[in-house]
Amino acid sequence: MFAQVLFSGFALGSIYGLVALGFAVVFKATQVFNFAQGALAVCGAYFAVTAISILGLPFPLAILAMLAASALLGVIIHMTLIQPLSGRSMLAIIMVTIALSIVIRAVIEIIYGPQGRVLSTPLPTGVFIVGDLRMPKLHLTAAATSWVCMAAFGAFFRFTRVGLLMRATADRHEAAMAAGVNVNLMNRLAWAIGSVLAGIGGLFLGQLQIVSTELETIGLLALPAVVIGGLQSIPGAIVGGLLVGMIEQFSSSYISPKSTDIAIYGFLLLILLFRPWGLLGDQETGRV
Amino acid sequence: MKAYNFGSGFRAHMPKAIAAALVLGMATSGALAGDAPKDGVYADHIDWGVIMDLSGPTSSSQGVWTKGLQDYMAMLNENGGVGGRTVNVLAEDGRFNAANDKIAFDKLVSQTPVIALSGFGTSATQVALASEIRDGAVPVIGTYTPTKALSEPTSKMVYNGFCGYKQMADAGVGYMVEKLGLKNPKVMTVAIETAGGKDYADYVAAAVAKYGGTASSTTMKIAAVDVTPQVQQILAEKPDFITIYGIENTAILTMKTMQQYGLDTPGFGITYLGTKSVYNALGAEAGGNYSFISCFTPGGADESDGNKAMVSFADKAGHGDLASNINYVAGWVAGMTAETALKKVDGDLTRASLVSAIEGGFTVDPEGLAAPIVYTPEDHTGPQVLKMFGYDYAKETFVSYGDYADYEKYTK
Repeated sequence: MFAQVLFSGFALGSIYGLVALGFAVVFKATQVFNFAQGALAVCGAYFAVTAISILGLPFPLAILAMLAASALLGVIIHMTLIQPLSGRSMLAIIMVTIALSIVIRAVIEIIYGPQGRVLSTPLPTGVFIVGDLRMPKLHLTAAATSWVCMAAFGAFFRFTRVGLLMRATADRHEAAMAAGVNVNLMNRLAWAIGSVLAGIGGLFLGQLQIVSTELETIGLLALPAVVIGGLQSIPGAIVGGLLVGMIEQFSSSYISPKSTDIAIYGFLLLILLFRPWGLLGDQETGRV
Repeated sequence: MKAYNFGSGFRAHMPKAIAAALVLGMATSGALAGDAPKDGVYADHIDWGVIMDLSGPTSSSQGVWTKGLQDYMAMLNENGGVGGRTVNVLAEDGRFNAANDKIAFDKLVSQTPVIALSGFGTSATQVALASEIRDGAVPVIGTYTPTKALSEPTSKMVYNGFCGYKQMADAGVGYMVEKLGLKNPKVMTVAIETAGGKDYADYVAAAVAKYGGTASSTTMKIAAVDVTPQVQQILAEKPDFITIYGIENTAILTMKTMQQYGLDTPGFGITYLGTKSVYNALGAEAGGNYSFISCFTPGGADESDGNKAMVSFADKAGHGDLASNINYVAGWVAGMTAETALKKVDGDLTRASLVSAIEGGFTVDPEGLAAPIVYTPEDHTGPQVLKMFGYDYAKETFVSYGDYADYEKYTK
């Protein structure tokens, strides 16, 4: 039982980590606490439904279409909602992301109806059985893809010129502007990446479960994940996602399915009380 | 302040004006036409109320049920209605919220009055409104979900219109135990967190106990999108079979996740979960392990008169794709029940005369869509004879496992 729960926690936690990474990228670049990150994951799942089930595109093409649509959505959100509010209070921007999440949910229900949809892809199904441990191939694929994405974006930020410019913009906004960096372009790129990562998470969540607007509740687990890991920390988002997945699976399996919210948000409260900068975040210090 | 002077001319004509107003009032109130507008009965039509979830998480089943009832009433109206009056369905959307249902209930009792009500698909609403309905004046004929709170003890104000959870549990468990040749069966109920889910799990436990077995249950939120913990529990407990209570997504998620984990434990769902969309979502592999227990025969599954008439009218109404949905059939049969009840009334049709006419009992003939439904003064359970259905993926039709009569031994 322990190994089984550990495996499930790792597989789901990897997806949460991916969505949380998207959140952290956006926050680090634009200081926007994006409450619509869960809704962006839902959008990714519905883009996949549209491309695969409705348009009947070949799977590789459908995935490319889904990624492009997610990226475009991120850019549009930044251009139309976030950039015009530049310089406004954090509260105003947070309210915008909450409103955006509600609007996205309503629009999806109008277009696709309230019923959930099943996403069928050619991704491997079946299960590896090792002793009492059952490892669904789909979970392994989701976890592996999540880690590949996280590694790829990690390398992108570390080793590419654009990645370095994005980090520079995030760390020293004014200095980047003074150095001639197109800050708005960098921020748009951050939103596109955040939206794509959420979309990939949504694709796997929809494939593992069912595509519905309720996926947003899973996508929103990115929020406690990044706070636990450290708001400004990219590795922290991944670790936070994994921890949230583990806590969720262990509490529901060993205590009760109803206990997951208590366990996740209880742990979040402990972190905020004793290490408010998160497990891997940097403690902000100020002169008194 | 200056008093207004009506003048002598007005005073002279006042008696005639009052008389004219009285006549007009009586005419518009329908008193001269034998109407009872306060009870939703008019010269040319009768208002019949429905409270169901037409949007929200349960709308995929309750909305279809409502269309079934509306279509039956449309067919009835085409054939002349009841006693020369058409039946007008006033459907209110509860949105899976008992507070909304309460508002709709008050509206249909007094603001836009109806002769009777059907539906009440949210079990929490039934629990909340049970005493008000049982002590009130508007009968509920054809409930969508049978809760203990509203149904027990038998009330002259409540007539169940759907297979009872007890009968579903008894027939389903009995069939599975016999089919799998089990002794001391180990059964798990997977249910959403509702009053009905708790009732159903209790009934399953009682049914399993009759065979010397053990039962357990696990719950999930109605809007759950991840049932991994529940499937972990199934993995740990290794039941002989599972039974599922909830909405379509509950069955899809549970069976699909079990398939992902390589679990081929057979399962059966309650009647509401017997839809093509569930089987299509599951696919042949996972769907092969899934069946559902039902007191209604899906459209197209046999050649009975009732089935042919329903499929034909559904096609005509543009709802041909819904005819095989068990919820549509249940709504259609609820329409039959409403018609039968209305036709029991001799003389003036009012809420009181309707209650009085049916409290002695009545029998609904669903023309093959279900076994005859018998209401007696002591028993308003509704449809009581059930059988198990599966799905033939090659022919894309439902298949029934045996006849209704084969299952009577489980529910007696």
